[in-house]
Amino acid sequence: MKHHPEIDKYAGLSSPIHNWDPRAKLIAILGLIVAIVLIPDLEIALVGLAIALTLALISRIPFSFMLKHMMWVIMFIAPLFVIVSLTPSGGIEHASLIAVKALAAVILIFPMIGTMRFDTTVKALERLKIPSKLVQMIMFAYRYIFVFSGEFQRMFTSLTSRGFRKRTNIYTLSTTGKLIGMLFVRSLDRSERVFNAMVSRGYEGNLKTLVDFEMHTADVLKAAILIAIAVALNVVCLTVV
Amino acid sequence: MMEMVISIANLSYTYHDGTPALKGVSLDISRGESVGVIGPNGAGKTTLLLHLNGILMSNNGIVKILGIEARKENIKGIRRDVGLVFQDPDDQLFMPTVFDDVAFGPINMGYAEEEVRERVAQALEWVGMDGCEQRSPQHLSVGEKRRIAIATILSMSPQILVIDEPTANLDPRAKWELTVLLRGMSMTKIVASHDLEMIAALCKRTIILDDGKIVADDATRNIMSNIALLESHGLAPASRIIEPQDRGPLLNR
Repeated sequence: MKHHPEIDKYAGLSSPIHNWDPRAKLIAILGLIVAIVLIPDLEIALVGLAIALTLALISRIPFSFMLKHMMWVIMFIAPLFVIVSLTPSGGIEHASLIAVKALAAVILIFPMIGTMRFDTTVKALERLKIPSKLVQMIMFAYRYIFVFSGEFQRMFTSLTSRGFRKRTNIYTLSTTGKLIGMLFVRSLDRSERVFNAMVSRGYEGNLKTLVDFEMHTADVLKAAILIAIAVALNVVCLTVV
Repeated sequence: MMEMVISIANLSYTYHDGTPALKGVSLDISRGESVGVIGPNGAGKTTLLLHLNGILMSNNGIVKILGIEARKENIKGIRRDVGLVFQDPDDQLFMPTVFDDVAFGPINMGYAEEEVRERVAQALEWVGMDGCEQRSPQHLSVGEKRRIAIATILSMSPQILVIDEPTANLDPRAKWELTVLLRGMSMTKIVASHDLEMIAALCKRTIILDDGKIVADDATRNIMSNIALLESHGLAPASRIIEPQDRGPLLNR
């Protein structure tokens, strides 16, 4: 079986961010991300970026791992940077502001959800009263994405073994289209069977799990510090500008 | 007379597209029996199993579980009493961790947290998978997934265990380990499969289902020795395969 990239690969490490209560961690870092996105000033945005990097450093998640996962985001930010810096209403400074804030926000994702197992993230969302349907969608997407990607790879291998080669032509496009179509049909069948299995065990629309979350003073303190930083970043902007 | 735990009378079922899947099936199973349901692909085995805990309900015929007719009103109780293990463990195991999956049934049945934890520990120990609570399904082997799929049902302590193709995709060692495990369970068991070896080792009674009808219902010993019967329903043992004489131009190259 092919190895899948997993966001929670380093959930097993130990750091002040790892042993932070998941609910407090989600709220505090999400608050910080929002605060950074709101910053109107480049210098203060750079401070935000530094804070994000510090948190990433504390989390002990290897930078090589983060860089690998950030490649796609950087590929999105880079052209945006070029385009915005060339427009008359933009300019280099404005483009840098956008790029720095985006980078800081993306880096913060790693200490936020890379420091706990994904199922813990889902349960924390559930405990934070995020609508159950949304939480279930996230959970099932994560559970079945590996199953579906495995199915797609097996179908593709079967095509390749019968002489199919990817080229830039209509035939390749239409074959790939049919493959994706088949995957949808199979997914629909599977979703029916999964639903049957759920109903068989008493599912009535709500997901119920057991967790051993415990909120201690340290968890609240960490959250308070981060929220304070988040607020300070924006208050400083108001006084400077 | 033995207590009837399952009593099906004249059950017929037709799918939405008009395909008839079951045609007048009648069946009585008493407490503690192990019944094998064999039959070719598309014979209606899975459809029959889905009626046993009310996933499918037919207007045509009566299904009684522990003496009570399966209806919408009492379906929750029936689903606690009849544990259904589906064929593909990736369908059965839908939660992110083994613990959550085995706990899913007991939580929905309304047990208190402490009891749920006890049931999960017990069920995982029964199937020999204790210590795997925090693992994710995508990191388990097929054999491990099967065991956990069974644990997800055992944790609800059903009186009747219904299993669809338990040995599909298993290598011989995993298959026999699973068979031994199932043999050790004392509740009423209904096992649908093509795997005649496993059925012979596990079930004293066997039913042949073909084209939506029960065509034989006898002691497994009698069914397995009746080669003509097995052959006529596409279940012939390997020794009876006839060497094809002419395979046509495409394969004779």
